[in-house]
Amino acid sequence: MTIPIRAPVDARRRVVSAAEPVVDRRSLEDPRAELLELERQGELIVQKIDREAISVATKYGREKRIQKAHLWHHKSCGQCGHIPGYSTSIFWVMRTLGYDYHDPHDQTSCTAWNYYASATSNTAAQAAVAVRNFAAAYETGYFPLIHCGTSYGHYKEVREQLIRHPELREQVRKIMAKLGKPLVLPEEIVHYSEWFHALRHEIAAKQVRDVSGIVVTVHPACHYYKIVSGDAIYDPDIYGGQRTAVVTGLAEALGAEVRNYSTWFDCCGFGFRHILVQRDFTRSFATLRKIEVMKEEADPDVVLTHDTGCVTTLDKSQFAARAQGRNVGLAVLSEAQFAALAMGAHPYRVCQLHWHSADYRPLLEKMGIDWEKAWAEFQGDLRRLESGEKPYLDWEDANGAHDNERPQVAPARHEDDD
Amino acid sequence: MSVTALPQAKTDAHYKVADVAGYTGVPYQTKVGLFEQVKEDIRFGDYLYGCYECGICVGVCPSAKFYDFSPRRIAQAAAREDVELIYQQMQEDIWECSQCFSCLRCPRGNNPGGLITIMREVAVRNGLASAKEALVGYSRIIYKIMSTGTQVSPDMLRPDAFPDWGPETADVADNLDLWRRALPPETMHTTSTGWSVADRTLIELYLIWFETGALDMIAQVDPGLHSILQELMEDRLEEEGIEL
Amino acid sequence: MSSETVVVIGGGPGGLRAAQSIAEIGGTAVLIEQREFLGGTPVAENYCGLTPRGEPAQPQIRQMIDLVTANPLTEVRLGTEIAGVAGGPGAFTLTLRRAEKAETEMDGDETIECGAIIIATGFGHFDPGRATQMYGYYEFPDVITQPDLEAMLSEGRVFRPSNGQPPEWICFVQCVGSRDRQIGNEYCSKVCCGVASKEAIEIRELLPGSKVLIFYIDMRMYGYWENEIYWPAQEQHHVQYVKGLITEVLPKGDRLLVRGEDTTMGRPMEILMDLVVLSVGMEPSQGTRELAKLLGVKQNKYGFIEAVAKPLDPVSTDREGIFACGAALGPADLEDTVSSASAAAVKAVSYLRSRPVATPK
Repeated sequence: MTIPIRAPVDARRRVVSAAEPVVDRRSLEDPRAELLELERQGELIVQKIDREAISVATKYGREKRIQKAHLWHHKSCGQCGHIPGYSTSIFWVMRTLGYDYHDPHDQTSCTAWNYYASATSNTAAQAAVAVRNFAAAYETGYFPLIHCGTSYGHYKEVREQLIRHPELREQVRKIMAKLGKPLVLPEEIVHYSEWFHALRHEIAAKQVRDVSGIVVTVHPACHYYKIVSGDAIYDPDIYGGQRTAVVTGLAEALGAEVRNYSTWFDCCGFGFRHILVQRDFTRSFATLRKIEVMKEEADPDVVLTHDTGCVTTLDKSQFAARAQGRNVGLAVLSEAQFAALAMGAHPYRVCQLHWHSADYRPLLEKMGIDWEKAWAEFQGDLRRLESGEKPYLDWEDANGAHDNERPQVAPARHEDDD
Repeated sequence: MSVTALPQAKTDAHYKVADVAGYTGVPYQTKVGLFEQVKEDIRFGDYLYGCYECGICVGVCPSAKFYDFSPRRIAQAAAREDVELIYQQMQEDIWECSQCFSCLRCPRGNNPGGLITIMREVAVRNGLASAKEALVGYSRIIYKIMSTGTQVSPDMLRPDAFPDWGPETADVADNLDLWRRALPPETMHTTSTGWSVADRTLIELYLIWFETGALDMIAQVDPGLHSILQELMEDRLEEEGIEL
Repeated sequence: MSSETVVVIGGGPGGLRAAQSIAEIGGTAVLIEQREFLGGTPVAENYCGLTPRGEPAQPQIRQMIDLVTANPLTEVRLGTEIAGVAGGPGAFTLTLRRAEKAETEMDGDETIECGAIIIATGFGHFDPGRATQMYGYYEFPDVITQPDLEAMLSEGRVFRPSNGQPPEWICFVQCVGSRDRQIGNEYCSKVCCGVASKEAIEIRELLPGSKVLIFYIDMRMYGYWENEIYWPAQEQHHVQYVKGLITEVLPKGDRLLVRGEDTTMGRPMEILMDLVVLSVGMEPSQGTRELAKLLGVKQNKYGFIEAVAKPLDPVSTDREGIFACGAALGPADLEDTVSSASAAAVKAVSYLRSRPVATPK
């Protein structure tokens, strides 16, 4: 008799989903259905996905829809502040694929810095901040897209709290009324990496740089898939549906080689307050549990991740660790920046890699990108800004629209060169 | 040994005793009161069910690998209502949590990280020594987030603040204004905030802080910052003709 | 004829014992089985040894089958399923249909009349791909389930699916798919602690150089399992029991790294394994779910058939004339199953005999 190790994945999953178990789950099984029911009861308004959307599967099989165009970008304070190439790449990819969007001034941070880091906020304040942002999006008619992993996870938890606690809804409703805003939540809370995952084939279709020789390790953000764990993308074709599919799906669609390592589920060590005031923890954790393990077991060219805190932690922890003789020196990028580079984006004008700490130049060289020339072009832009010729770099400049109109400026060396 | 020196039998042996937990100078009722505040929180019932003591939460916890910290002990202490141990945790352990929420893998559905969030808020509201110590040097950050609605602004990237992040930090600081103008997104040509926040948005934010009591949370740990922020926000709201 | 006929649906240990018991007290049993063979899950999933003493399962099940097929008062219909029900207590009419993919000869639907029904459609094993913890069952060939291991033991060898080599370090992870609020299977599946310990002993006997660990939340060793299996596992076979459940399995080199906390020692643990066995729990089978809906019988929140008058009557459903036995009611071991099967048989036959005889029109 042959040993039946297991039935094919698809066949077993069909059996399970046909079974329709009656369950009592702590983590809300279908938050969308719960919201729509509350809307029917007149408790809140649900902003609907009203344009073309792509369906994806979440952990327990619930279908989630990702609206393709007309999105309201809920920016990340850490990205915009310290890793601006991350936000810029998200916008650039969306523009390049031809999808319209709104980049609001009427947006606050999710203020998780107040909540997770210092505990100087409370449930009602966090819920009100979240709803205020959602209401701002609702007013414009653009559907919210969340840039930061922590904002996304936190808003999923806020949604759960508002669904469970009518007294919280009442409190937030009253505060919103004072602001002239409704109590509104979107029918799905969508992270930008879910949009990138859903559109990964369209992104790959616009790819101009070959990344088949690039080895990638993926670091998944804790706050993306560990908070309200049912609401995260899983795909039976990626890790057999056993690990979240975002970032990996995109890297594979672009043709990169994704390699495993034994601390995949580990946090990066950001800790929120630790990275500012208890840095030995963050630095040690990122180095010992992530970077060194990746280098030793997978020897990658780049680690890709999809959250502000993770990029910051993994990128910034390597310098001091190198001084301690640790095995570091690994480029750290968001998958948005990597996708942008694969689509031909300028490493400085778009990906803004000069803000990064860990050395990215070997990666660029392997991708066939002449970073010296690119840096010279960017220096030319800076000279133009300095001379007052124009106040800001715009999207046309970012795509090199004016490169042939000017004489090349002599390349200024990057400060770090030796 | 004389008869009078025999130790008393303890009937509540599974609770931590004051002289082992420490903080014997703090009245027992104070400790009880703090735990009552934790239990009263709207989230408490969502965060604590029963505990298997299975250690899954510790197995995934990054802080457990670095500190003598255990999310399991947090959940167990709360379930047992071990007030002495809980007080000790509020003074010593809770700031070690990295708030990653890996512990949400709990099969009972507990949220030790969430319990810690509540315990931290209670510690901050009551001005516990651990909260004051944890938030030393944090004033600027709280000021930034509460007054501008953003955090980690570009102008915070300075080599004296982040000497361990590498020489690129100095590059950023030296070129800050120019490099920020070299960003294509129209909202990001800012240096003191991550993006340019509309005036109206800030007014709405300040109202939220007042209406929810978030601002008053820091009254105990940083009274100076509290009054600065209160004045700033009250003035701004008054300019808009908004009564609190 | 129909007034003394009991239809037993499901030909596993429960259905077999129910049919046999009905015949032993002079009733007539018709046993309907979806598969092309009798024996249920122990046969379909290659059970090697029974828990706790490890005696070969297949001959025991064979014996149960023979007692039914040899009996003139029982009729067996293989490759057949229930398509519909009409009538009422004491006079049901069931429509039979050939089961999907069955090779049984059957021209269209048939009907059969009976006075009582016993549901014996049993359980299915939890799909470990749905587990809350990160076990990577569909990613790593060396992560297997208890049934996968039974199949190996039936062949007399335990090996790593990745390379065919015998493993040195093997661990069991308990409570996979059970006792978990996030999945919704809040109950304990009752048998997995005993089965894991039995399998651990079998591995230690087959591979004397192996190191076998069982990671658990609690060790459920009811009654005689304590002295017949738990003590020998530790004392004679040196199986290591660690209170601390594994939460992640990840690849490291060509082996697997398992992670958890060694709670009694109070420290996190990461150990390299060659083979990881998931002790998967019981869920209502597809047949149990479908039949419950078809017959209009109450299910509990987990989808098992509700025994409405337990504990003193563990076999009556909320529909008169319809009884249930075995794992269709909830997690059950073999002793539970044969006990409830005989109880259901007695209840069904005595129900029929207590009804007034139908007078012809």
